[in-house]
Amino acid sequence: MDYFEPKSLDEALSLLAKHGHEAKVIAGGTDVMVDIKYKEEPGCLVNIKKISGLGGIQENGGSLRIGSLATIRDVETSSLVRDKLPVLWESAHQFASLQIRNTATIGGNICRASPSGETLAPLLVLEAKGKLAFSEGEKTEPFMSFFQGPGKTSLGTKGLLTEIDVPFPAEGSRGVYLKHAVRGAMDIAMVGVAVLITPDAARNTLQDVRIGLGAVAPTPIRASKTEALLRGKSLTVALLKEAAAMAAAESSPISDQRSSGEYRRWIVEALTRRGLEQTWKAATGKEVA
Amino acid sequence: MSVTINTKINGQPISASAEASTSLLEFLRDTLEMKGSKLCCNTGECGACTVIYNGRPINSCVTLAADANGAEITTIEGLADGDKLHPVQQAFIDTGAVQCGYCTPGYIISVKALLDRTTKPTAEDIEEAVSGNICRCTGYNKIVDAIHLAADRIAGRA
Repeated sequence: MDYFEPKSLDEALSLLAKHGHEAKVIAGGTDVMVDIKYKEEPGCLVNIKKISGLGGIQENGGSLRIGSLATIRDVETSSLVRDKLPVLWESAHQFASLQIRNTATIGGNICRASPSGETLAPLLVLEAKGKLAFSEGEKTEPFMSFFQGPGKTSLGTKGLLTEIDVPFPAEGSRGVYLKHAVRGAMDIAMVGVAVLITPDAARNTLQDVRIGLGAVAPTPIRASKTEALLRGKSLTVALLKEAAAMAAAESSPISDQRSSGEYRRWIVEALTRRGLEQTWKAATGKEVA
Repeated sequence: MSVTINTKINGQPISASAEASTSLLEFLRDTLEMKGSKLCCNTGECGACTVIYNGRPINSCVTLAADANGAEITTIEGLADGDKLHPVQQAFIDTGAVQCGYCTPGYIISVKALLDRTTKPTAEDIEEAVSGNICRCTGYNKIVDAIHLAADRIAGRA
């Protein structure tokens, strides 16, 4: 196996252009090292951790700029993330063990494009965007279109994610991230549901609703039909029930060793209901009538 | 392809070569013959391989050995001062927090990292610090007792 430690983004991009499909990018390594030990060694490993300027978390106007090499622990311990993006904070907090959070990077969690990637459903409801670098130039892409399948993203084999731009949610909005797993944070999510709602000025109706579902489709998804059903309405018991069932119908989970597809659908329904109930109460001060 | 790794382990500068795909755990155990850090799940789930990397506890089994270049690493071998055990090691013995012992080096490293951060850990701090370490023998209560005892001794409360 060849091994490279590029010192600059340009150097890394030309290595990826040259080695293409053979090359595997490594940052924290918490997933890639397991692949090397249990699956197969890539032809060449490109370690991007020595590239400067890819870390850090800063406020940038109305959004937060998170460097792709920021660790999950950096995200979890950032007071900016905790104050401004509690939905993302929650997913970083429920992310495996302290040892893993100290090593794993947010860029790695995103580029791995696992449907169950902990931060992905929160990033979808926050309408975050990625800055993608290629040897031909840079582009910004919303994460809504970035994920193309398990392990597949619009980076292909030649691009690198350099930063993540997360806009602050609207004033008065409330969000939650709910994870279902057998052994709490240590386990990979069977289902993850992120809900972000913004009430109207009178706090009577849902002006904006965003529901992100993780681990229940080939990529993390937004439950867009459910969102459309809820938008502009007041949350009633009947509507809550209908919305939760619709979110479950929008999911297309597989059965695997962690749970059956049928069970995952039940959990999507339960967590969507719980997430909407909690955020509605928090945002409007009212019970679901 | 072989890489040269210049690092500092338990305060000692070390230079050695290893295959590029080597994990930090394999580098410690097989290249440097330091067998204190344990190989168990080899996937970053059980914590038996925990070492302190630039002040933070990490799983050495899912860390690239090449990332040790320029880093400061503390392993279980670096805790005792001659025959005098580190307070965390002594507390594990005194409370009976050890049975088969395989997970113990990883626990002691995680607890040392915790007590380097604070000598007044809350129940939540303790749970967070060792949630990535699995013990199949003790049932955890005695480990929590050991953490409290070590914290009290380090802070001079016991």
